[in-house]
Amino acid sequence: MTSPATEHRSTSATEDQGGAAALSSSSVQVARSRGLHGWRAFSFVVPYLLFLVLFGILPMLYALKLAFTKASGGFAGFRNFTDTAKDYRFVPAMEHVLVYTTVWLSLLMVFVVLLALLLHGRASRASSMFRFMYYFPGALAGAASVLVWLFMLDPSVSPGSFFVHHVLGAHHFVESIAPGKLPFIFAMIAFWTGAGGWVVVLYGALNTIPTELEDAARIDGAGPLTLALRLKLPLIRKWIAYMVILSFATGTQLFVEPQLVNQASLGMVPDTWSSNQLGYQLAFRYADFNAAAAIAVDLLVVGLLAAFVIISRTGLFKAAD
Amino acid sequence: MKHRRLWPAVAVMVLAFVSACGGSGGGSSKADLTVWVDAARLPVAKAYQKAHPDVKMDIVTFDGDGNGATTLQSKIQLWNKAGKGWPDVIFSEQANDPVWMGQKPFDFAATITDLMPDSVLSQWPATSTAQCTVDGRQVCVQDNIAQVVLWVNKKKMDEFGYTVPTTWQDWAALGAKVATEHPGYIVGNIGDSYSHWIYLWANQCPLSGVDGNSVTINATDQHCTEMADLVDPLIKNGTLPPLGVFTPDFAKQYGGDDDKVLMMPGPSWYAKAVFNDTLHMPAGEITAAPPLQWEGDSEVTTGQVGGGPWIISKHAKDSKAAADFVTYATTEFNPTGADARPGYPAYAPAADTWLKGMAADTFFASDPTPALKDAADKIWGGWSLVTYPDQPVWSDTVVSKLVAGDSLSSLLEPLGEALANAAKAAGYDVAGN
Repeated sequence: MTSPATEHRSTSATEDQGGAAALSSSSVQVARSRGLHGWRAFSFVVPYLLFLVLFGILPMLYALKLAFTKASGGFAGFRNFTDTAKDYRFVPAMEHVLVYTTVWLSLLMVFVVLLALLLHGRASRASSMFRFMYYFPGALAGAASVLVWLFMLDPSVSPGSFFVHHVLGAHHFVESIAPGKLPFIFAMIAFWTGAGGWVVVLYGALNTIPTELEDAARIDGAGPLTLALRLKLPLIRKWIAYMVILSFATGTQLFVEPQLVNQASLGMVPDTWSSNQLGYQLAFRYADFNAAAAIAVDLLVVGLLAAFVIISRTGLFKAAD
Repeated sequence: MKHRRLWPAVAVMVLAFVSACGGSGGGSSKADLTVWVDAARLPVAKAYQKAHPDVKMDIVTFDGDGNGATTLQSKIQLWNKAGKGWPDVIFSEQANDPVWMGQKPFDFAATITDLMPDSVLSQWPATSTAQCTVDGRQVCVQDNIAQVVLWVNKKKMDEFGYTVPTTWQDWAALGAKVATEHPGYIVGNIGDSYSHWIYLWANQCPLSGVDGNSVTINATDQHCTEMADLVDPLIKNGTLPPLGVFTPDFAKQYGGDDDKVLMMPGPSWYAKAVFNDTLHMPAGEITAAPPLQWEGDSEVTTGQVGGGPWIISKHAKDSKAAADFVTYATTEFNPTGADARPGYPAYAPAADTWLKGMAADTFFASDPTPALKDAADKIWGGWSLVTYPDQPVWSDTVVSKLVAGDSLSSLLEPLGEALANAAKAAGYDVAGN
């Protein structure tokens, strides 16, 4: 019963760019515990492992080294961390990312679960078309979808200018991207591209619930709402936890959306709006790769802490329910 | 049977991998001369290639590093780390780029005086050469001078019976009049990333006075506050909108055949680039008037918006070829008519030819050249170029709040603070704050 779910998990891990190290180790762990009759499983996992090491683990170790050394190479202790924390852009960037991640995760948890439950409750022919439609925006690369949204948010060229005028209250593009609105705009853009894929994943998770359980619940008199809340939701909570871990990581590491809006607005949205952008500027404007590495390690620690909390709270790696 | 079905898939994967790896463009090691230009300078590069078919050129267009972008800094960092890949010539839209290019850790710019003869270099105005001088050595030559003048819609001014103002105070009074008599018309705009160069630089507001490693930033100086007090009512009554000229909103609202631009303080390169190419204003309306003077001041000072520099790389394989290209681009390339250079050439003999072309251009309501020539040497020298860009600071700290309805006077102190932060982060000591 668990095998289609775990194979589903390892293929979708290759799709998402969150790339938490915890995830691939979990899939390898499970493969090992089921014995090596899956050399085919290995042949799927090994290419990903190669890229994970080359572009994930090795750069992370290099960044760790850079974060604790000086530009000349000597040991610097925690100096890079304290220096970056004192930078006048550090705290605002962290605040922006915190608000953004909160909005983004709330939107994601509520609407993705809702949509997945709705999709699962409907007839199968209609739901396969909807699954495609939900997944489709996610096929657009992040940068391309931001460009689409830049047009949508500009009242003079947007096809949805009615909404931009009345919901956002903006008559000019510069009003659409006013500082207070930015976390919500970025969350909207990220939701539009990312949510669909997760709906499909959670739909797959819902499919692992044996129909006998559902039928038994229906016989006992459970309506659709009780079915969704009392039966399905608790059974897919591990998949929801997985989604929250990955989305937390991608949320705190926000870069593409504010960077493109910075360029489109000719600098009105600062190029250090998010922490990742600040790291980029430190590396390439000030040639201070050590400070940039310190920010990267900050984000890594935050992501790992969140992952640890969620894993221990939901028992994500516990074998059976 | 399962194994037989696996081989075609593997073969396809290998082919896809190989084709993705090979054939990435940019064989710059094969070209004799690699130049990086923005879109507006592409005709120059193409013309040089045409005139010198024996020189194999690699012409790369990029965003010009405009509006305070970090494009060139990231690129030069990467090339320095890799130890290869530098282009031979770069054109930048950011006038302060040579300042950091000529210093460590970037250390990209070659000394121009070693590569171009003094007889040629002496024909640049002293202020232009001074802007290209870093630590006593000249690291660039400016393509054009971008002195700010007062662009006037002569046709509409005559129609409404207004006279062209000569002082900032008269201009503001006219703005107040226009708001009641002809609402919808504008006397300027303050939403561009460089608007502080037009209004604050012109009135000698001390926001960028460099002395060695120290920069003076005093946003509450009288020169700044009096200008802010002057323009605040205009921003409020809509004759000085906090919008940028290059946004689609602006062109829609104020451009086109029925344009609403009555006056606009702006640099010399607005001539065709903004009024014709961007706003599509009809011919016979726009002309240039001398820059505005603060009433009571004995001298006229004006601001500057750009003046893009050409920089030659220290690592150029063939410095002579690079210098030859830059010489061609700044001194020889000077077509007339529709293909004319967008900016007022910094090289004086080229400027004369360009001015003659502008005077004969039927797009303007009257000859704009006397005003342009007059303003060329009036750029206030107390505003120095620094290693950090101040455009994003202005956009983020001021323009975004002006859009929300705040007054410029209330934003001067935050602007000064933000500029001081940017200066300190770039390694300067800040005085005067």
